[in-house]
Amino acid sequence: MLDGLRLYLRLASAGLRAQMQYRGAFVLRSIVDFGVMISDLGPVWVLSSYFGHLDGWSFAELALLYGMVSSSWALVELGLRGFENFSAYLLRGELDKLLLRPRSVVLQIAALEFEARKAARVAQGLVVAVLACIALRLGPASLAWVVAGIAGGVLCFAGIVMIGASVAFWTSGETAELQNTLTYGGSAALSYPVSIYTNWFRRAITYGVPLAFVNYFPALAALGRTEAAGWPRALPWLSPLACAGVLALGLAAFQRGLRRYESAGS
Amino acid sequence: MGAVRPYLQFARLAFQRRAAYRMANATGVVVNAFFLMLHAQVLLGFFRARGIAEGWSAADAVLYFMASESLLLAIGLFPDWNYNLAERVRTGEIIVDLVRPVRLYAREVAERFGTAGYYLVTRAPAVFGIGWAIYGFVPPLRWELLLFPVSLALAIAVMAGLWFAACSAAFWRERANGEILAVVIVNSFFGGAFVPLDFYPEPVRWLANALPFRATLYTPVAIFAGKLSGTPLAFGLLHQVVWVGGMAALASMLEARGLRRIAAVGG
Repeated sequence: MLDGLRLYLRLASAGLRAQMQYRGAFVLRSIVDFGVMISDLGPVWVLSSYFGHLDGWSFAELALLYGMVSSSWALVELGLRGFENFSAYLLRGELDKLLLRPRSVVLQIAALEFEARKAARVAQGLVVAVLACIALRLGPASLAWVVAGIAGGVLCFAGIVMIGASVAFWTSGETAELQNTLTYGGSAALSYPVSIYTNWFRRAITYGVPLAFVNYFPALAALGRTEAAGWPRALPWLSPLACAGVLALGLAAFQRGLRRYESAGS
Repeated sequence: MGAVRPYLQFARLAFQRRAAYRMANATGVVVNAFFLMLHAQVLLGFFRARGIAEGWSAADAVLYFMASESLLLAIGLFPDWNYNLAERVRTGEIIVDLVRPVRLYAREVAERFGTAGYYLVTRAPAVFGIGWAIYGFVPPLRWELLLFPVSLALAIAVMAGLWFAACSAAFWRERANGEILAVVIVNSFFGGAFVPLDFYPEPVRWLANALPFRATLYTPVAIFAGKLSGTPLAFGLLHQVVWVGGMAALASMLEARGLRRIAAVGG
């Protein structure tokens, strides 16, 4: 395991060195990545300054939801990039190369195509979350919920990209776009309170893929609003469990896929 | 006529390049429809507090967003990361362009129109149809709707200029990914991709009216949704015409300067 981690760091730093070959372009791209809040959060700011609130959520509260989910998702994109594009590796037969090495396959895949600029996305998510916490004057218990929500989100999104990657063992990669709907689409959906969505969609992201547990329930707990929103007071405590469950499912699915894998041979 | 022929070819090839990826186009419809549904619910959620705002009803806002989401690919708000001018410069493929008697910017415009043609007959009606099936909103039939195709063509021309300007950064330092992403982000906000500019706070709206980005989206989409008439409509179209010229001038200047920077690497 420790060897695997060391290999992960080496692969990641090799990726960083490669990207540093275009230093000016890398710095600019990172700055621009940090500015993604202009197009993500800008419209929310426009609408909430015009209408005042969205279903009782002020701009600062909406920014908290956005900051939490975009931190989680960016951390997964930074740390597990290889799983996002896994189907392409599988099709090119590159998985065989990784299988030959006596190190954790999961960690090796995670480090593939490491993109250092994603750190700027993590930073922008965290900056938004911190500013929202300050604006909302959250106490220590609430801050703990925010941190727990971000951590849970990492587990949940990690599980989703792993499930997406595992599906590629069976479908040879035609499903990449659908995985994007769950990850990019999911994090976009979670930038708003789950309560605004129509019934079937709300149920799908609460009981189906438990995305609502990523930031909505922890945020409700942080704002002391769980019961007011019509949920049992203890429900947010299920968040870590639900998110860890998705990751466990992802890891198990990936192991099954690996066991099933037969190289095409070439 | 002979001078136009190569550009017609470029437009046709761009059309065919898009048509080649059937599966990706089908899943793209699903992704667009997902975001359409998602953001429509956000708009409806905000409007629940107030029936009509700035003369827009919730139905107007959703119709506007349906049109915006349907036309994203046709107008070209998202770049082709793998095949663009910047990548041709980086890989050295640009040398092939240079031996042809073809202007790079004119080629970009031609390719944008070819791409737009493909998405206008496939993606746009499919996504709008899904939105219509869910919400049942259609554009009001008014004479201003006749100006929509004109405005759409102007939008595509401005977008071509923006992409060309962003990609030409590669002439100076081989990569333009940062510039390209900056155009995506700034254009999406100041173009009103999600929220009509009418709702923007005063100083931001002034800024948006001066910048080129509203020409790529807000003007044609608001015309489609029946929310532009009279003086604002005239201003919108004039703004578009001015920026088509402005972007063409900027792009031509960048093309001339950039080409002087090119040094081919043999091999």
